[in-house]
Amino acid sequence: MLLFSLRRLNLLLFTILLLTLLSFSLSYLFPGDPLINITGRVLATPEQLEVLRQQYAFDQSVIEQYWSYLVHIANGDLGVSMSSHIAISTEVLSVMPATIELTITALIIAMFFGVPIGFIAAIKHKKTTDNIILAVAMLGYSIPVFWLGLLAILVFSIQLGWLPSAGQISLLYEIKYVTGIQLFDIMLSDSEYKWQAFQDASSHIILPACVIALAPATIFVRIARTAMMEVLESSYIRAANSKGLTFKQIIYRHAIRNASVKVVRHIGLQFANLVTIAMVTEMIFNWPGIGRWLIESIYQRDYTAIQGGLLILSSFIFIVHIITDFIYAALNPIARDTHYGS
Amino acid sequence: MARDKIYQEEEFPSPLLQLWHNFRQNPVVMIGFGCFIFLVVLAIFSPLLTPYSPIESHLDSLLLPPAWSDDGNISFLLGTDNLGRDILSRIMSGASLTFGISFIVVIISMFIGVVIGSISALTKGIKSSFLNHFLDVILSIPSLLLAIIIVAILGPGLENTLWAIVMVLIPQFVHITRNAVTEEFAKDYVLASKLDGAGSMRLLIYSIFPNIIEKIISQATLAQSAAILDIAALGFLGLGAPIPLPEWGAMLKNGIDLFYIAPWTVYMPGLAILFAVVATNLVGEGMRHALKLRKES
Amino acid sequence: MNLLDVRNLSIELQSANNPILAVDRVSLSMKEGEVRGLVGESGSGKSLLAQAIMGVLDERWKVDADRFHWRGVDILRLPVDERKKIIAKDVAMIFQEPMSCLDPTATIGEQLEEAVDDELLHGFFWQKRQQRKMAATKLLHKVGIKHHEVCTKSYAHQLNEALCQRVMIAMALAGRPLLLIADEPTAAMESTNQGQIFRLLASLNQLKNMSILLISHDLETVTHWTNTITVMYSGQFVEAGTTEQIFNQPYHPYTRALVDSSPKANMKIPAKSRLMALPGSIPILQHLPIGCRLGPRCPRAQKQCVHAPKVTNYHGHQVSCHYSLKGTY
Repeated sequence: MLLFSLRRLNLLLFTILLLTLLSFSLSYLFPGDPLINITGRVLATPEQLEVLRQQYAFDQSVIEQYWSYLVHIANGDLGVSMSSHIAISTEVLSVMPATIELTITALIIAMFFGVPIGFIAAIKHKKTTDNIILAVAMLGYSIPVFWLGLLAILVFSIQLGWLPSAGQISLLYEIKYVTGIQLFDIMLSDSEYKWQAFQDASSHIILPACVIALAPATIFVRIARTAMMEVLESSYIRAANSKGLTFKQIIYRHAIRNASVKVVRHIGLQFANLVTIAMVTEMIFNWPGIGRWLIESIYQRDYTAIQGGLLILSSFIFIVHIITDFIYAALNPIARDTHYGS
Repeated sequence: MARDKIYQEEEFPSPLLQLWHNFRQNPVVMIGFGCFIFLVVLAIFSPLLTPYSPIESHLDSLLLPPAWSDDGNISFLLGTDNLGRDILSRIMSGASLTFGISFIVVIISMFIGVVIGSISALTKGIKSSFLNHFLDVILSIPSLLLAIIIVAILGPGLENTLWAIVMVLIPQFVHITRNAVTEEFAKDYVLASKLDGAGSMRLLIYSIFPNIIEKIISQATLAQSAAILDIAALGFLGLGAPIPLPEWGAMLKNGIDLFYIAPWTVYMPGLAILFAVVATNLVGEGMRHALKLRKES
Repeated sequence: MNLLDVRNLSIELQSANNPILAVDRVSLSMKEGEVRGLVGESGSGKSLLAQAIMGVLDERWKVDADRFHWRGVDILRLPVDERKKIIAKDVAMIFQEPMSCLDPTATIGEQLEEAVDDELLHGFFWQKRQQRKMAATKLLHKVGIKHHEVCTKSYAHQLNEALCQRVMIAMALAGRPLLLIADEPTAAMESTNQGQIFRLLASLNQLKNMSILLISHDLETVTHWTNTITVMYSGQFVEAGTTEQIFNQPYHPYTRALVDSSPKANMKIPAKSRLMALPGSIPILQHLPIGCRLGPRCPRAQKQCVHAPKVTNYHGHQVSCHYSLKGTY
């Protein structure tokens, strides 16, 4: 297990290194002066630029430039935003928690509904239930998310008026910033309107989280269904059957555990997809997260922000990826013993 | 006259024919396939088929609802938008933009991806390991973010969207080709022809490609549905097709402000995207199912 | 009284265009304490027969029999649930490739404890837990695994095939079965491990008077460990008798060919001469010959053979052939 953890950490470091290489090369690829792209100081005077040039080693070879870029990143300096002139790290820190909150909520919703439905479809294989579930799943991952978001707003916010359509929380509530994750912050705060604020915040998150969750949930349905069908056809289920265990016992004691292990494996891969969907959804629901921030940076041609955002968002996805790998290894004894990471 | 069959003979159709037989079994898949063909035809011939020009304004009939509503006009079947453009014509010519471009995108990126993938499968050692990790990194970046960044480098516009999505899709094809080729290389029939003295190129072309082509095509259908959604998403975010072009995502974006007074300007393009993606997914699904059936038989 | 008495059991694969008769009227009987071998080429339906006895075939397969008695009770007449209950209590089965028959994500100990019969336990649930553990350890000792602590904590992939098979046997023993069906228990195993498993089975047979139905494709190994043998070919009954009868004086041309193809039975043939073998190969299920399915390959086949032969009984030696070899000895 120690070896496994070391390998995974190694992979994580290597990946983040590659990501920094990518974001560094972006400063050359984006239009404009690479130095300004990397620092974001559009208003700097020639003297200031000269200082920056020295700091970022732009008078030396590319390798040294990259090295000094790495040093800057390690010190938490991602440059300043070209449009707002605030440090990128500060901006990212203020928008990232909202995205983490939204994506994790969506992931939980997607798994909570997707996986059991997939198992049911596999157990009822080749029956009407299975076909209906498959058809709905197909529709679910074919729907363009921006359209779905608009329809959801139209139905639930405007026609029915059940849920708010934009933002993270009503402006009436003042919540002190602690972790940045709104629901935690509310629980930590000592405001007398704590519960109202909590209700308000959760009613704000439901609609966007469900919109994001729909497509991943349908993919989980398919993954869970395939995994369960594979498990049900395996020899140990047949052996358990001949031992005289009832169908229920087989499903609860053996099949669900083995199929879940297979599902966990795919969560990490699906997470990148989920974040893609979340970026668009944040735009539609005016969610103050990193996706909306990134897209707005593009509108303003804020290249420094794009670089920093790419680095942070991809690292976040990769960290989730590694965490699911650990969960997978904890659940699956075979993966623990293999030495090579996939 | 067709000859009667006297003997009950075991006939083995060629693998592709067998695939087609299995594919044809499922009526739902065949409907999807029909829709797919319909979209391809529409994408090619839409300039001849549309009743109006997609960018022509009919100023006397702005924001007309679809023909089945009370205020509708039969000459504008799906209504008009805020500039009086016929939505039906726009959606039909949008097929050649959203669907047609996604088709081209997939073909280009499939070609490039398969070439890179097969070369990388033949290389070993540190180069191959680096490429592998690099691919993992690229695949872990959200596809839309990658496309947005490439658009940011190239600048917005329809052509640049095309290249951005090509580049986003290439890693997926490299990944699947690489895995399939390596897997196939480990099999004994490849070893046998290697022992016969076949070189790497010959092995690739004559032994391996015929056996992995279906996997690549089924990946291509997945890639196409992703490409349609990504093109539309870029259009929706205003980074794809420029304003007058009737790209479905851009049409949707155009409709948002009118959502409450003219919801059909949002419904129609959304339905068109949904239709195209479902048709593509049905074809891909049928294909994978047929492949699975063939493997089992 | 016979433990198991199956007469004319047929298994049909239900499919849309043409149903396939995979097992065609096979009879099988087992006495208490008997070790019977069931021999046939792969694809001859012997595993299907075993699974039909266990009642674990899925709904695509249709099972029919003239008689299916278990300890004198006609269990085909009982409802499915009850039949499964009786069979699961008294009959246990072990499979080939034991490693894949163990749940990969559960430890051996957990799986053994699950197999322990609830009726053996008494007291409150915390006492039961302890007893379960003890029972699992005892089971492991019974199959000759001394290091039970290590074994119970292991996962299936950490043990070798022979150990896994021992664990499977231990689980089978948990229900104290009267009959153990061993479906090619040593396939793909090294020969030293094969010997261990067979010796273990033989000792269980002698110490606990447990009957064993040993399914195998290898007539030669089976003869070492069994009292009686039933031979099948392509889903049809061929011949049944004591091991000596089958091995020394086979009446059916197919059994003759099987014996002739084994080098051990032919020690006396001159050096460098060819071993006897039947021409052709076993027919595929979609294209079975009518009548006696061995027909096209049989050296003694005549016109009569397009009709399926009836089973003839010569003092307990049953054979199903129109032109049996009985006269030639």
